[in-house]
Amino acid sequence: MHIPDGYLGPSTCLALYGGAAPFWYVALRKMKRALHTRAFPLLSLFSAFSFIVMMFNLPLPGGTTGHATGVGIASIALGPWASLLAISIALAIQALFFGDGGITALGANCFNMAVVGSLISYGVYRAIAGRSSLQSRQRIIAAGAAGYIAINISALAAAIEFGIQPALYHDAAGTPLYAPYPLHIAVPAMMIGHLTIAGLAELVISAGVVAYLQRADPILLRATAPNAITTATEAPGWKSLKPLWVTLAILMILTPFGILAAGSAWGEWAPEDFTHAAARSQIAAASGNHAPPVTAPAGLQRLSSFWTAPMPRYAPSFLRSPSFGYLLSAVAGTGVIILVFTLAGWMSGRHPG
Amino acid sequence: MNQPVFELVGVRYAYESHSALNEISLSIAAGTRVALLGPNGSGKSTLLKLLDALYFPNTGSLRFRGEPITAEHFADDNFAMDFRRRVGLVFQNPDVQLFNPTVFDEVAFAPLQLRWPKDEIRRRVHEALDAMEILHLSDRPPHRLSGGEKKRVALASVLILDPEVLLLDEPTAALDPSSQSQIIDLLIGWGEGNKTVITATHDLGLVEDIADYCFILQRGQIAAEGDPAILLRDQALLERANLIHAHRHKHASGKTHSHPHTHPHSHE
Amino acid sequence: MRPGFIERTIATFLTAAEYTAGAETMAASKGALQRVDPRVKVAGLLGLIVAAALSRRLETIASLFAVAILLALASGVSPVRLLRWVWWPALLFTGAIALPAVFLTPGNPAFSLGPLTATHQGIRSALFLIARAETAVTYSALLAFTTPWPWAMKALRTLGCPAALVAILGMTFRYIFVILGTAAEMFESRQSRTVGRLEGPERRRMASAAAGALMEKSLQLSSEVHLAMQSRGYRGEVHILHDFRMSASDWLWLAGFVTLTGMAIWGGRG
Repeated sequence: MHIPDGYLGPSTCLALYGGAAPFWYVALRKMKRALHTRAFPLLSLFSAFSFIVMMFNLPLPGGTTGHATGVGIASIALGPWASLLAISIALAIQALFFGDGGITALGANCFNMAVVGSLISYGVYRAIAGRSSLQSRQRIIAAGAAGYIAINISALAAAIEFGIQPALYHDAAGTPLYAPYPLHIAVPAMMIGHLTIAGLAELVISAGVVAYLQRADPILLRATAPNAITTATEAPGWKSLKPLWVTLAILMILTPFGILAAGSAWGEWAPEDFTHAAARSQIAAASGNHAPPVTAPAGLQRLSSFWTAPMPRYAPSFLRSPSFGYLLSAVAGTGVIILVFTLAGWMSGRHPG
Repeated sequence: MNQPVFELVGVRYAYESHSALNEISLSIAAGTRVALLGPNGSGKSTLLKLLDALYFPNTGSLRFRGEPITAEHFADDNFAMDFRRRVGLVFQNPDVQLFNPTVFDEVAFAPLQLRWPKDEIRRRVHEALDAMEILHLSDRPPHRLSGGEKKRVALASVLILDPEVLLLDEPTAALDPSSQSQIIDLLIGWGEGNKTVITATHDLGLVEDIADYCFILQRGQIAAEGDPAILLRDQALLERANLIHAHRHKHASGKTHSHPHTHPHSHE
Repeated sequence: MRPGFIERTIATFLTAAEYTAGAETMAASKGALQRVDPRVKVAGLLGLIVAAALSRRLETIASLFAVAILLALASGVSPVRLLRWVWWPALLFTGAIALPAVFLTPGNPAFSLGPLTATHQGIRSALFLIARAETAVTYSALLAFTTPWPWAMKALRTLGCPAALVAILGMTFRYIFVILGTAAEMFESRQSRTVGRLEGPERRRMASAAAGALMEKSLQLSSEVHLAMQSRGYRGEVHILHDFRMSASDWLWLAGFVTLTGMAIWGGRG
């Protein structure tokens, strides 16, 4: 989801720099006070770790690449503010020294991966880990979930930024001047790879490193576990966490279907707001002069509002070509199901019981 | 006034996971050459870091020439920079100490931090590199040197400040024998005068050459101290302190036995 | 995780090491850009990247690209190296994204390939994407290849970047090599201990255990590096030996950059 230069138009770039800036400011203020303590080399270390994790670019179907960012473990070990700084710095080094991706897009990348990623990862981790002891399995699962969800929300943000470019910037003839794909292509193309491969990579890294630290250096987990129970008897068993795991698995399966299914019931037209008068007349014209329903069919309404809630201002995604959509959903669905079951097998294989 | 250069009373230091130093009390006179002996894990490195004011004692007191060394004192830039100039530490792993783009920059790092005038720095760096016979390596990135060369760069980068006290953590570790002897000769030469040199090592063969007094550390406490010539002849003591190993081997007659294995050296 | 994970991982580390070794050599050589004051260079090259980003005309972007090539040649940065490290990877990445746009963008048809129809708008859109990406990435590479890292940081500092940020940047940069070195060692030793192919779950276990062990080793090393810096007087501020002073030629370069950027912005307006 790394955005290079040339994909986002000037005002988008500026807006996202503006979005990241207040977070950078606050994070720097907090770090300044800790410059001669151990927090400083630790932050740099996780930044370096993140840089290296991001070097592993995984090619994804749809012609983009995806990668993990290490945001999971960074936010768990450092807390959200230091983490957002650490990831931003890794991104800056990639852009400036390795010429790897977007100086003009640095604000956007930092906003998506560092800011949004860190905050969400931290939030999910705290929510799922709760007050469990530092050594508990619950924290491993929390770490995996935090990394997975954070990466995907970051990817979604990037996808939305891509997707609105053609509408925002085009020349008189209609040539898109920056990223050329509208939302209904950008979002699935980006999300499929991250819901599957990149997301899983982040999950494995986050969960794996936390598991390792639990044995080797649990002190590092203390920064984000202020209320952790310290008695040895508290480690919850695998069985009590099963409902949580099953829920996560179901979410993983349904998500791609949700995004795609919201559109697959419809025919071919440009992405416009559903209730826009001009769009409705177009739809009518394209549908043999049958007026489109005043509201979407009940089933679709439920699905699309459930899944489009995260993108309040943008139209639900529907696809230009139904066959493209079905192909994508078949690939995604099958792939995700296979991956989820292998993952479940792996996790239970790790459990001694 | 013959003040000890370092004086520790009842010092304890613990890392988050384990305790490293338990009630250390010792005194080191100025101008002496001291060895800290002990196996790995005995607390030698930790003690050196405390002496270099990189860590501060959890309890107890540490004084450098009568001045208490505490975190509060070190918050003052002037006090801290003065201390840094007067006490230098060479780490065991040179890679840890080489973080500048060229050897020249590396040796210039410390004086730069201490705000010396830049012309003076350039002159002194040149002299320091020459003294270590590494002038030809000035423009090289330090992480691409041999073990012996790295050690020289690390030494030069500390000695450029001409400290009163030099702390060395396993100076001959991971060096080939010829580099080892070169470094030792260098150190012996430098130490002449009223410089205090404190070396942590588990290499018994080194001690008598480089130290007039030694402390034997075991599990964070001082097990014994005194003249190396005497201490190193006490086999029982050395064995208790885990400083020597016993060999088991078989004789032609079929009998097996074990005996302690030490490395006595003599030099002309 | 695919087969040959270990080999691919080691290859990635070695590539990065090669890259930086090459970059260091180029930054130390005596070319045109190397002699420019780093503050002028940082501001100037960034300005040209912004101009490329703003431009609404392909011809302007192409001209900026041509200028970048000229600067590279004048600075001893070989086009072959640029091709291998910069242009080709960027083309692969951007090309993969741009290619479908040729067929998916609505507009006037240009030609057909079986069931797929390319449009003029699609072709132009792909060209914009590729041109902008390649131009920007070339200027970034020029900055990286002609400026030693601590100079770039000092330049950032004097251009107003907060000291804390520059300090963290520098330390992170150093740690990247510490970790790469540790990781390369770890993987080499593990590779020599691993016989035969690993099964899926084994590979995943190894991958996550490797990530954890790498983290642990790096933690120890990084803590020691920080202590070593403090031992030599580091208190948080960046100092370098060289004094930045603007010479006559630096002012000329600055004027040159400003003019060029202005022309490009003017020429690229839609």
